[in-house]
Amino acid sequence: MSLTLLPVISGLALAIIAGPLGCFVVWRRMAYFGDGLGHSALLGIAFGIVFDIMSEISILLVGIGFAFFLVVLRQRKLLAIDTLLGLLAHATLAFGIIAMALMGVGDVDMHDYLLGSLDGVTRTSTAILIIGALAGFALLVRIWPGLILMVTSEDLALAEGVPTKRYEALLMLLMAVLVAVSIQLVGILLITSLLIIPAACARLFAQTPEHMATLAGAIAAISVTMGLSLSSNYALEPGPVIVAVMISVFASALVLGQGLRRP
Amino acid sequence: MGTPNSLLEGENICLSRSGRTILSNVSLRLEEDDFVTLIGPNGAGKSMLLKALLGLEKIDSGVVRKKPNLRLGFVPETINLDPSLPMSVRRFLTLSKGRAPLQDDIVQETSIETLLDVPMTALSGGERQRVLLARALHHKPELLILDEPAQNLDMRGQLNLYALMQKIYERHKIAILMVSHDLHIVMSSTRKVVCLYEHVCCSGEPQAVARDPEFISLFGEDMARLISVYPHDHDHSHDDHDHTHHDHPHHHPESKA
Repeated sequence: MSLTLLPVISGLALAIIAGPLGCFVVWRRMAYFGDGLGHSALLGIAFGIVFDIMSEISILLVGIGFAFFLVVLRQRKLLAIDTLLGLLAHATLAFGIIAMALMGVGDVDMHDYLLGSLDGVTRTSTAILIIGALAGFALLVRIWPGLILMVTSEDLALAEGVPTKRYEALLMLLMAVLVAVSIQLVGILLITSLLIIPAACARLFAQTPEHMATLAGAIAAISVTMGLSLSSNYALEPGPVIVAVMISVFASALVLGQGLRRP
Repeated sequence: MGTPNSLLEGENICLSRSGRTILSNVSLRLEEDDFVTLIGPNGAGKSMLLKALLGLEKIDSGVVRKKPNLRLGFVPETINLDPSLPMSVRRFLTLSKGRAPLQDDIVQETSIETLLDVPMTALSGGERQRVLLARALHHKPELLILDEPAQNLDMRGQLNLYALMQKIYERHKIAILMVSHDLHIVMSSTRKVVCLYEHVCCSGEPQAVARDPEFISLFGEDMARLISVYPHDHDHSHDDHDHTHHDHPHHHPESKA
């Protein structure tokens, strides 16, 4: 298999999970959480180097720790969720940067972590991404009806026996998995836009949650593959290019959506 | 388990939040075929009691017993959909833990045929209540629990909704537990009423409840007198849309807090 095809395959795998999961990020207002997770990935990468484990695993572990601390701190109800998220995100980012600097990781490499890079795409990283994305997608499909009921009304879901706390935790876990498997490709700073822009775009046309998730997946697939090929053709960082493509799709959709709606 | 026909039963429920007692020693039992209306002033703990019975709120002490595998339909006070969530009425009706196909008879019964492709966020108050009710009925419940279903409806909307509840009760042969603020309607029926203010103050037929000293101290002499003059045979005429005597504005006995 040619090495130029790997990023495209990775991108498609990424899209099938980023689309539907991104809808939940929009519906449950978890965008800041995604941002925070992204920031924490830098600490995960540092741990990966220190303990000599695969970065995907160390990022996932730090991400799970991040979510755990957030849930614990939120129970004390003294501080608002955005304050807690800012606190945790910047703590992990700061310690991540310090750790990397102490280990002698240079500016150039840091740049790749922040904005994504095609250099790190290997057969192994592609395989991990595909496995992560498919596993996440399968889980999402399995619990989909209950999740949609929970998003619609927490009370209805609880009254009808949906384990909402567990579902909430699973959503966080799915996001941590997505961040862990995709951060190398798209970078820490822009990971959230990968989730929310396709979903926001799909909202303009969708009539049901299922519509929106499918459409978001399709939009993500188109933008990610287009962004990655543009990025390799023009030697640009993939993260910003993917986001630029997504934003263009969103802007066109906005115009088109308005056009459709006018009587 | 309790008595054979008991569907849902709360025994000596105590519940407090931030040091304030909300429910103390409340016991309530629902059997097959019961139609119980929970009344009480604002802040009496009516919604909290429903939530405790449904398991949405933790109780400090007491027991809630449910018939095993009880099919329960819940109509919440209101539903605040995030505008970012696209949800047509058709999709909403079939929302459930598993799969629930759309049932035409229920759609017709609640008169929402023309609303199926409308987004949930575009419904009026009365339409939304009927849709919530229709969704609850899609689960073929043995017990239907409603939290102030007629809130935010105008007088005609309230009367229509209560008439619909009556029809559903008769046709589906289910038990109903309902919280209501609409004393003028509730007390004119013959259904069992439970008056709550932290504890169960009194319960029974509306006419008996209206004469209870605790009811009078909660709602005042005037309300008690007003209710005891409501005629009973009013019960089955609510669905008559052209009743002109409902057209002049009634005074709502309870102002919204």
